[in-house]
Amino acid sequence: MTALARKICMLGDFGVGKTSLVERFLRSTFDEKYKTTVGVKVDSKEVVLDPEGSLKLVVWDIAGKSALDALNQQYLRGASGLLLVADGTREATLRSALGLLMQARELLPDPKSVLLLNKLDLVERWEVAPGTLSELRRSLPVFETSARTGDGVEAAFAELARRLMA
Amino acid sequence: MNGFPAAVERYIERVLRERASPLMLSFDRNWVMLEALGDAARFGIDTAAGSPDVELLRDLFLGLPPGEAHDFPFVSLPGGGTSHVHGVPDGELFHVLLLDASEEFARLRSQQQLGHEAELVSQEKSKALARLRQIRGELENQRSRLEEANALKNALIATLSHEFRTPLTSIFGYVHLLERRISTDISALQALRALRRNATYLFALAENLLEYGRGESGATLLNPSAVDLPALAADLEAMFRPLAEDKGLAFALELDLAAVPNALFDEIKLRQILINLLSNALRYTLRGEVRARLAWENARLVIEVRDTGIGIPPDYRERVFTPFNRGAQHGSKGAGLGLSIVKRLVEQMHGEIHLSSELGVGSTFRIALPALGQATANPIAREFADIPGATERWLKGGRAVVLDDDPDVSGLLALLLSDLGFEVEVVADVAQTVERVRADPPQVLLVDVELPGLSGNAAVYQLRSQGYAGRIVTLSATATEDARNAALAAGADFYMTKPINLEQLVRVLQRATVP
Repeated sequence: MTALARKICMLGDFGVGKTSLVERFLRSTFDEKYKTTVGVKVDSKEVVLDPEGSLKLVVWDIAGKSALDALNQQYLRGASGLLLVADGTREATLRSALGLLMQARELLPDPKSVLLLNKLDLVERWEVAPGTLSELRRSLPVFETSARTGDGVEAAFAELARRLMA
Repeated sequence: MNGFPAAVERYIERVLRERASPLMLSFDRNWVMLEALGDAARFGIDTAAGSPDVELLRDLFLGLPPGEAHDFPFVSLPGGGTSHVHGVPDGELFHVLLLDASEEFARLRSQQQLGHEAELVSQEKSKALARLRQIRGELENQRSRLEEANALKNALIATLSHEFRTPLTSIFGYVHLLERRISTDISALQALRALRRNATYLFALAENLLEYGRGESGATLLNPSAVDLPALAADLEAMFRPLAEDKGLAFALELDLAAVPNALFDEIKLRQILINLLSNALRYTLRGEVRARLAWENARLVIEVRDTGIGIPPDYRERVFTPFNRGAQHGSKGAGLGLSIVKRLVEQMHGEIHLSSELGVGSTFRIALPALGQATANPIAREFADIPGATERWLKGGRAVVLDDDPDVSGLLALLLSDLGFEVEVVADVAQTVERVRADPPQVLLVDVELPGLSGNAAVYQLRSQGYAGRIVTLSATATEDARNAALAAGADFYMTKPINLEQLVRVLQRATVP
């Protein structure tokens, strides 16, 4: 097993765009149609950072839930990093993402975490206030992303990779 | 022992094996694959040693303690198959066992898809209902007369108006800059004046259409500013006197404004009212005169336009204020929109309009408008005209970033800001703006909303959420409360509509740069 590989998990409520973000990151594609995820989808991609070097991210795209159930806890085992995903147009999903982070921290030893607030292309409909994100940024990295346009996606994955290599 | 007969045991084993179609990959302690047994094609997996599929199967066990059994249900892999994946320790070996779960997966996904879609629709519905409840109170007194054709027409008119506003911003802006720079060449100044007059006329026409397209229920923004009434009167005089002379009519525009306080009005709407009234008066007067008067009476701006035209019969006096109705004014040209729009604008500004007319003698329109507010200082335009270099003293030393994808508009804003003493950087997209502002936060950020891709509001939101504390002025061609609220909610300090009133922009910049 390669030493320069890390398991990361996508966590967030359903419909926030986890699978779309992974598709954007891995294949630079976007599908307008919502397709629910059952169980987990696993894929990998090597990211190259300057000056840190390269790291293979094994991405576990876990079915969306507002809280970790037994199955999701099984999927989380062995993860080094977390991408928490919320939908800016649904403030409740931000609370879910933060709840999932707290639950995951009880299961994993010091996971590196990044928060993605997705659907930036719909910013006019966002329910999350800018000030809320300012507060959150004090405790973890936050990226506004759009899986549709690709904005912020690469940067969010790269930031997590960077923290995993630190 | 469960006591099943051997034949049943064999049957169960055969059925389960057929359904699960197990695939096993065995690895040594260094994760070197030793063998693969089973129907790999069914899982869409290439089991050749070193293949990406084999690597990914190994990687499933990253970070997990060796020597323990693991069970991951419903794992979808890039090959397309979905399986229950098990890790089975076996002394020095480790087996990865895949059991086909595609049928169960398809059934579950179908159920879950329906459930999630229903939930998302329900959430959207709840939001929509909440919004409807919120606006129902505002709409109670309004009758909804919009039909599909009407909505399409409004969208078209709004789009056209938007398309007009952006180039007009450039025209007005550059004319303004040139007027400030060319002070001695009389013929050049006259040419610029003509450009301004005609652009104003074009703008008024576009605004008439937009105003009509908005319908009775359309929310419009009032844009109070200190209006240079003598300059406005001079503009109107220059615009209409040649038309009157062509028809052999006497024309007069009188000002009685000695006692006007620093009152604020919506200059664009005021200009629109006067242009419409004077156009109408000249159009329907064949001989005699057209006289206009601007006066300050009883704390109101009074506009009076009197003509010796054909007059309006009593039966038609209400009808002239309805769209596309030219009443008894036979042989007339034009859309028949002007007076309906005048009435609407007057009502929007909380004013009153009165018409008196006598058939064959003439008509008088009298409008009284209350001020929309009180200016705290002298009009900026005058200060610029009278005090050379004053602006530089106020604003020198600031840095500004302009986000606009229209090079004409961004060029104009850059010129204006440079004139005002700013060091200016122009950027064309949201990502670049966020990056540049983060790297070197400017004192002022000017943001256009309508951009290809993400809107300017996205840039504002991101910057505010990242702690940018400078002043943000959002510029947009959309003059609605919703658009204004969206921009302010994203974090803008000021919202201005195009065509940009440069004096107002200067005032905003002045406010923005006050510590």
